Amino acid sequence: MQIRKVFDLNGPNIWSNRPAIEAWVDLGHFEELPTNKLPGFTERLMAQLPSLLEHRCSIGERGGFLQRLETGTWLGHVLEHVTLELHSLAYSPLGFGRARETLEYGVYKVVVRAEDAGFAQLCMRSARELILATVDGRPFDLDAELKRLRIEGGRRCLGPGTKAIVDAAQARGIPHLRLTDGNLVQLGYGKAQRRIWTAESDRTSAVAESIAQDKDLTRRMLAAAGVPVPLGRAVTSASDAWLAAQELGEPVVVKPIDGNQGRAVSIRLDTEDAIRQAYELAAKEDRHGAVGSGSGVIVERFVPGRHHRVLVVGEQAIASVRGEADVLTGDGSSSIRQLVEQANLDPRRGEDDTWVLTKIELGPIALELLRRQGLTLDSVPDPGQEVLIQHHGDLTVDETDELHPEVAAMCVLAAQTIGLDIAGMDVVAQDIGLPLAEQGGAVIEVNASPGLLAHLKPLVGKPRPVGEAIVNQLFPAGELGRVPLVAVSGTRGRVEVTQLVARGLALSGHQVARADSTGLYLGERLLRPGTAADAAGARRALMNPSASAAVIEVSELGTLEAGLAFDLCQIAIVTSTMGAEQVARPGVEDRTAIDKAIRAPIDVVMPDGFGVLNADDPVVVAMAEKCTGHVVWFGLGEVEITPMQRHIAAGGSALVRLGSQLFWWERGQKSPPISAAPLTESTPGHAVEPVMAAAAALLAVGVSPARLEEFLNSSVC
Amino acid sequence: MKIESVRSLRGPNLWSNQAVLEVMASFDGIPDLPHARRVARRALELQQAVGFSVSFCDARPVSERQCRLLVQYTEEDVAKRALELAFSHPLSTPVSEVGELPTLKALAEEVRLGPSTGSIVRAAERRGIPARRLTSGSLVQFGMGSRMRRIWAAETDSTSAVAEAIAQDKDLTKTLLAAIGVPVPEGQVCATAEQAWAAALAIGLPVAVKPRKGNQGKGVSTALTTREAVITAFEIAVAHDGETIVERHLNGADHRLLVIGDRLVAAARREPPSVTGDGKATIGELVAKENQNPLRGDDHSTSLSKLRLDAIGLEHLAEHGLTPASVPAAGQTVWLRRNANLSTGGSATDVTDTVHPEVAARAIEAARMVGLDVAGIDIVATRIDQPLEVTRGAIVEVNAAPGLRMHLEPSSGKGRAVGEAIVDMMFSPGDDARIPIVAVTGTNGKTTTTRCIAHILARSGLRVGMTCTDGIYVEGRRIDTGDCSGPKSARAVLGHPRVDAAVLETARGGILREGLGFDLCDVAVVTNVGEGDHLGLNGIDEIRDLARVKAVPVRAVSARGAAVLNADDPLVVEMATQCRGTVVYFSRNPSSPVLIQHRAAGGTVVTVIDGQLAIARGRHVTPVGRIDQLPLTVGGRVGFQIDNLLASVAAAHWLGLPIEAIRTGVRSFTSDIASAPGRFNVLTHHGSTIVLDYGHNSSALLALNEALAKFPHKRRKVVYTAAGDRRDFDIRRQAELLAGFFDEIYIYEDQCTRGRVDGEIIRLMREGFVSSSRSPRVLQAPGEMAAIGAAIARIEPGDLLLCQVDQVEEALAFVSGMLRQAETSSRPLAQMTAHFAAALMVVFGGIGGA
Repeated sequence: MQIRKVFDLNGPNIWSNRPAIEAWVDLGHFEELPTNKLPGFTERLMAQLPSLLEHRCSIGERGGFLQRLETGTWLGHVLEHVTLELHSLAYSPLGFGRARETLEYGVYKVVVRAEDAGFAQLCMRSARELILATVDGRPFDLDAELKRLRIEGGRRCLGPGTKAIVDAAQARGIPHLRLTDGNLVQLGYGKAQRRIWTAESDRTSAVAESIAQDKDLTRRMLAAAGVPVPLGRAVTSASDAWLAAQELGEPVVVKPIDGNQGRAVSIRLDTEDAIRQAYELAAKEDRHGAVGSGSGVIVERFVPGRHHRVLVVGEQAIASVRGEADVLTGDGSSSIRQLVEQANLDPRRGEDDTWVLTKIELGPIALELLRRQGLTLDSVPDPGQEVLIQHHGDLTVDETDELHPEVAAMCVLAAQTIGLDIAGMDVVAQDIGLPLAEQGGAVIEVNASPGLLAHLKPLVGKPRPVGEAIVNQLFPAGELGRVPLVAVSGTRGRVEVTQLVARGLALSGHQVARADSTGLYLGERLLRPGTAADAAGARRALMNPSASAAVIEVSELGTLEAGLAFDLCQIAIVTSTMGAEQVARPGVEDRTAIDKAIRAPIDVVMPDGFGVLNADDPVVVAMAEKCTGHVVWFGLGEVEITPMQRHIAAGGSALVRLGSQLFWWERGQKSPPISAAPLTESTPGHAVEPVMAAAAALLAVGVSPARLEEFLNSSVC
Repeated sequence: MKIESVRSLRGPNLWSNQAVLEVMASFDGIPDLPHARRVARRALELQQAVGFSVSFCDARPVSERQCRLLVQYTEEDVAKRALELAFSHPLSTPVSEVGELPTLKALAEEVRLGPSTGSIVRAAERRGIPARRLTSGSLVQFGMGSRMRRIWAAETDSTSAVAEAIAQDKDLTKTLLAAIGVPVPEGQVCATAEQAWAAALAIGLPVAVKPRKGNQGKGVSTALTTREAVITAFEIAVAHDGETIVERHLNGADHRLLVIGDRLVAAARREPPSVTGDGKATIGELVAKENQNPLRGDDHSTSLSKLRLDAIGLEHLAEHGLTPASVPAAGQTVWLRRNANLSTGGSATDVTDTVHPEVAARAIEAARMVGLDVAGIDIVATRIDQPLEVTRGAIVEVNAAPGLRMHLEPSSGKGRAVGEAIVDMMFSPGDDARIPIVAVTGTNGKTTTTRCIAHILARSGLRVGMTCTDGIYVEGRRIDTGDCSGPKSARAVLGHPRVDAAVLETARGGILREGLGFDLCDVAVVTNVGEGDHLGLNGIDEIRDLARVKAVPVRAVSARGAAVLNADDPLVVEMATQCRGTVVYFSRNPSSPVLIQHRAAGGTVVTVIDGQLAIARGRHVTPVGRIDQLPLTVGGRVGFQIDNLLASVAAAHWLGLPIEAIRTGVRSFTSDIASAPGRFNVLTHHGSTIVLDYGHNSSALLALNEALAKFPHKRRKVVYTAAGDRRDFDIRRQAELLAGFFDEIYIYEDQCTRGRVDGEIIRLMREGFVSSSRSPRVLQAPGEMAAIGAAIARIEPGDLLLCQVDQVEEALAFVSGMLRQAETSSRPLAQMTAHFAAALMVVFGGIGGA
């Protein structure tokens, strides 16, 4: 079984409207050996992946796929299911898969949905190894493979915070484009686009981030605005730190001015030695030194209470989580070192912030904390004895519903004071349900680009819709981040249609990005020569921040090999399917696949959009029923000819040519004739089609017949 | 002559509307005022010599032995140092020859804003936009309250962090730019040296090698043609950052195009540092000679930086087979490094006027694609006056927070107004980013007037920031407590991001100590000067001196603003001449000559006409509400509260508030314990009336007496003490007034007697009582609560008791607590408080003992 080729279908495609990968898989001799002829295969596979039992497959019930395995199915189909299952186990569940024969003997197209094409490919390759090992009865280390895939998934797919934002955008109908293999994502198209990079938006101010980095400056600014903060100041040396501690009153907190994530932060210090040591530790951590002066270390009065993280988006505090102190409980036989090792075996603990829990580190701060409890790493606590290992543990408990409105207001004010649109406020307070002033609580830090995971997956309590909040902040209600997008598909005259529609839109004031096989354009300016009638060209058109509209030529082959570059369009035009069979790849597919590829844009017309169809091509006519928007027909034929007549009679829109005159029915209403001088009785059909198609599209988007007439007569020759 | 004290008056002050150092100096021998003036002038000249534009200085006599020097400043530390130098150095030495001048200059460089930030701040100030540094670095806040904006060097607060991250990633930037058809050098990311060489061959030689992330040209090598060169360059780049790019080497000069908003504002052609041979000197000698050029400095203040033959320079020379000892031929140009940055000695020629419009369009598109509002676009092209497609040039980098120095002071060519361009992008034409500011000053009624104006503004929908002696309030929420009538509190409100309008009680102390906390205000209200208060403190001995202090906010009224002045107080009326804006007078008396004259001249006044509070302009009268229906006046009885309302209405009217908002505002403004603690709070108990007030000077006593007279009563009683820091005269005068108005007086000495010995205040008050023609009973209690408690213990129906509260919150809680208990419990009030009465001692007069 060989995987010959894999296509990354990064957008809607002939299989589905979601991104997928399509692999061409040559089963080789396994074409003769469906699963029922592979002794013990089904049992071994089910033993290895018992969760395959959940796969319903075409039978449509639990165990459906198992039945197929038992009655006999081909390994291409098995590859589909195992790929989906591995993806699901290692990262996230995927819904969709297909396995279809090609025209070539033993070669299948195996399709699975993909969040990240590269990762889905890795899963498929692992699935192939697993299947081959299972066929031979060889051992396969599934755990090791899943661990590897999990790491790859974390690296290649969107991070949890970014994914939450992208999912929320998708749920609102806002499109997205990934701009890097990391977490930089464009939401929306063209001029209407916004960008996010994890939990930063394109409106997140760089100046505000710099302010938030400087904890001393932040504290002073918050204090001036009336946000409760701990008393404190920047210090210049270990002696100065001790002096500051005495001025402020112990116990104190010592931390680097621009540290991150609580690194090198020592809290609740009350002796000169401890304060001096904490100073040295913090001074080492500080990266650039203070913006103002001094060593880059601040000393603050210790605020007793629990550690809370309040997420502020715009003018609202969206969510709050708290951390409990990390405490290890002795068993009477394990040393503290061993207890920590055991705790770190918890599969929820990881090295970075993509895990809900972080691994316990036995750094100098933890050691000092132990020392103060009279313990060392080798101490063996009694059974039930609690050992404090970290004052502020991971943020795991959702408490959004308890958040007092006064505390929420203070957090919002703090974000505004620093100038951040999205911020995580570190608050220390006994009880987040009481005003800070009442309990001596304080905002101790402001974080730009806050982690969202703790709010999305709290260990205790409800997940919070933080992705939705961020999307709503970026796009006010009713805004979809879309610009008019016209996709032109079909076997004939696409470039002509694309150019005409682009020029027509430009007339109504649009700055049009156009991607066709002659190049990528903005208005009349050629941005890039060479064909742009592919997913890459379309993507570039949609990335252009100057574009207030986009007109995109869609080639059948481009759709087959890469999918569409957009999720939905306002207008899809199909010119013709004449000669589609010539496009089919020999031995791979027949004309049906090509017709589907031509139809792909029609499948993704927005509900209030238009499918503009050539009424003279029966295959195109049949596409009407797949169009989720309105249908507009154009044709050379007589009005009397059905189905055009029925369409108009039913209140539909259509553009009909009679001689050099065009007649526009809008929702059954006939407009005065449009005379298009360049079109005459003798103009051949293939030259008339593009003009008709473009004219119909322009009329559909609201260009008046009179204006269209002027346009056609000035620009068509 | 020697310095006794130095005070920095940061805002408009008694002496000037500019920041000045106020120096108290004493003469060693014979007073020599002309000498003192010369010293002040020297301190000014020294500041000028290190680049500050300051112009005001003076010396004025204070006493026989003392004088006051006034020296304008920009940077406090520099001015203080200049002042020390002026005192310690002979004035006969010319300024330019003062030995410490270079140190002073160095200090100035250290503390002043860098050239980029400085240019933006100056442009803002020229547009009347206030600027304030938030740190000793380049973080500057423009404007105030909710209109504020910030910059950090050439970053604005709308410079996107995401855009900056994109610009940091050169490969990503190139991908984005290529997507919109902006010419970029094609290239690829390489992980190993071998890959780099393979990439170089694929792209076509020559190539450039650079770190994927980085700045200031660090780790960049260009024009590489050999395998060895590419591999070496890869190692250099990789040392800066793990990921390295190999790309097509471009021919031509380095250009930097500055895009601000959607405009190309400046362009410079940049050249690496070089020396030109004379056939005799070595490269080392040529460098040393060039460094003598006064245009070359060690810092960012000059248009060129010094040339450096450091490791990078030596390496570069070696690549061309040269050493510092090589002697170049006459006319031969030797480049000292590849990189054209100004900071390493490069030069910049302004070419703004020659940029081809197509090139400018590409630069603007590049900035927009990356998402930067201020961007430095690096273009390599043989010529900048031809489209990039023609020259085969390309955009090689997009820089966030670009240095502006090369455009402000290019080594040759015209400097460009880039600071102005940034300010114009941030603020639309005519926007000065200010919020309305009302400053309220005077001897009496400041706090109530401040509260009332804030109340009216808040009622009209504005988010109001208010400072007063009770604290700082923003949107009604108290964010600081204590006496907040000084400049620091004013600055806190003006720097608060939610404040749409500020009402600032502006007390004498802060004005003397630091000057005002703002440079301009829209309205300055002066309630009165009256008989004054705090006289004899801080060198303010005369009532006229005090009037000059209270006039400082009037002098800070902007040309479009107004002074709201009490027409009944001649010292306040005199302030009108110092106001640049309009004057609005107020008085309860509509036939006051000042009002009549002002109205006749078409001016606006606020007064009482036929029982109506009214705004009158010329013949036109707008009624605001019946006086006796406005709760603050307690049925029209409390005259000084009417004054406070008049002043408040005048201020609100001048700010352009609709009359309806003003009407609703004054009708809903009250002075109860909750909203205005200690401001004429009226309580009743079994036929007696208790008034709690904070007034503690003779003008306040006069006004209180006038108001109390309108309340029905049999006996008048008062609890009072005088503040120890007032003049003996004032303490006696207050006691004399008390004796004239009240039948029974409870006095005590404050816990903090402000410098007086125990018993002294009582003694002075007794002297005042003696000089009165009346002789009420005077009783002494051991403290404020004891005095209030005793007075309440002895209260009888028909009594009118005025409690002057000092510890406002404690006293109010004490009184209302006692009254509440008396209402709810069956024990009579007198019994509950009998122990207070027992502690009383008779001080003076009256019949019978306590």
